[in-house]
Amino acid sequence: MRRALVLTAAALLLAACGAKPAPPPTPEQALALRPADARLSGLYETSCHACHAIPGTGAPLVHDRAAWDVRWKQGEATLLDHAIQGYNAMPATGQCATCTPADFQALIQFMAGREDSAK
Amino acid sequence: MISRRGALIAGGTGAAVVAGGGVAAYKVATGDKPEPPSPPSVDAQGKLLWRNWSGVQHAYPAARLAPKDEGELATALKVAQAPIRPVGAGHSFTALAPTNGTLISLDSISGVVGWEGDEAIVRTGTRLGALGPMLAEKGRALPNLPDINKQSLGGALGTATHGTGAKIQAMHGSVTGLRLVTPSGKVIDADASKNPEVFQAARVSLGSLGVITQVRIATSANRRLRRRVWLEPFEDAVAKAEERWAQHRNFEFYAVPFTGLAANISHDETDDPALPRGPDQDTEFLQALRGLRNLLGFATPLRKAAAHALLSTAKPETAVDEGWKLLSTERPVRFNEMEFHLPVENQLKALQEVVRTIEKERPDVFFPIEVRRIAPDDAWLSPFQGGPRGSVAVHAYYRDDFTFLYELIEPIFRRYDGRPHWGKLHTLNGGQLEAIYPRWKDFLAVRQELDPEGRMLNPYLKGLFGLSY
Repeated sequence: MRRALVLTAAALLLAACGAKPAPPPTPEQALALRPADARLSGLYETSCHACHAIPGTGAPLVHDRAAWDVRWKQGEATLLDHAIQGYNAMPATGQCATCTPADFQALIQFMAGREDSAK
Repeated sequence: MISRRGALIAGGTGAAVVAGGGVAAYKVATGDKPEPPSPPSVDAQGKLLWRNWSGVQHAYPAARLAPKDEGELATALKVAQAPIRPVGAGHSFTALAPTNGTLISLDSISGVVGWEGDEAIVRTGTRLGALGPMLAEKGRALPNLPDINKQSLGGALGTATHGTGAKIQAMHGSVTGLRLVTPSGKVIDADASKNPEVFQAARVSLGSLGVITQVRIATSANRRLRRRVWLEPFEDAVAKAEERWAQHRNFEFYAVPFTGLAANISHDETDDPALPRGPDQDTEFLQALRGLRNLLGFATPLRKAAAHALLSTAKPETAVDEGWKLLSTERPVRFNEMEFHLPVENQLKALQEVVRTIEKERPDVFFPIEVRRIAPDDAWLSPFQGGPRGSVAVHAYYRDDFTFLYELIEPIFRRYDGRPHWGKLHTLNGGQLEAIYPRWKDFLAVRQELDPEGRMLNPYLKGLFGLSY
């Protein structure tokens, strides 16, 4: 019994180590995803959602880890700066006129699938 | 619209040069400019930057408000630090929104809140892209949409934003009533019979009379449209344009400078089954045009020959879907823009002169020039007041110099009696505008009555209206 548990744990550990990133959300899932916080969800819905929830706009899709990983490596400070200033196709402030830097940071963490970073 | 060959030209140009000298050499050799300089993200007092979509306007507002409802807005307006400026998605290129006082977003005052027959009561913070599916739930749609659908309804109406169609008015033409909260916190309902002067002034008012919180807007049946996109020689497009405006529900074309070509786009109602639009190809088309500029911008005949060989055999595109899914387009490539609305008899002459001028003077330009037609309405500051207008819009890549719009293009538009789009680049103000808007003084009188202290006016609007405070 103990041997079986050890083997199971080892298998799980191996699976975790070699885990492939989750597949990107389907278009329907991307459209439906929202931050858990109600206020943040409202900000997201009227700004980021217009591009980051719709495939083909050029923006990295919400919760698409493969698309966000390369950006996340640049560091949160860089992503925050891009959000405030605008960057390539990304318009300044993501067209959210009342978002604070903390809001942008939380929205980036949500879209990048890194809500845990907020803790 | 074009095959992968377009992207190959755009990418191949860069790759060849990068191999010889890195990114800096590429930028110098191809004409690609670096990112324009950015203002600080936070000013010396710790205030956060606000910038418009294209990046040419910015401000550090002292306060940013997002009232949750009309009552909260009315209370806030009474005490807000002037200049008070409502802002939507920041898609205006002119300095309508920047303020060092109070920036007000209506993002929390949004949605469809009721129906009166086929007229929807819509809160003006609603983004156009979100409004389509809301109306479609009732089987209805806005009669027309602009090229971009990221704007707030309030911002689009306030600047006389429009689509194309000889028989279809600009968006504000469908507004049959509105609610305005003045800077003193007074709530005014207005339509053609109740407070009619406020109604006619407020339908297109640049956010200068107060904050319009909701409108009653006529809708049409949510029909499927057939969208067709095809290329042809520019001269042919000009020759057939009038016939096509008469023939199609929506028709526009893009003159593509330095190619001898034009891209036509038509939309017509159909009962055919849906044939989705597919991935965006306009961006690839733009990349090809930029590549041609970079590679052959020094020799216009060569550039035209290459463009013709590359683009002229492109296959037409067709899509069938509900109108709100087709009439607007994703525009991930940012730009600056000047658009004037001309008497229809002058539109194509002005266009031809604009194309000739750009091809003679500005080989750095590669963006297509948009040509549309709009039906008349009677709002006092509507550019379409008094008769139909034909619009011509000239774009400059957001990294490129756009002063040629003022120096070379605006004089042409003015010579042909054009009126500027309120949200797009132009230099007109005061007496110049009074000369082309018969109800200019009437508008200013209503503005004076509603906001005697000019609390809604930033320096740009004071200049535009020719006012001194």
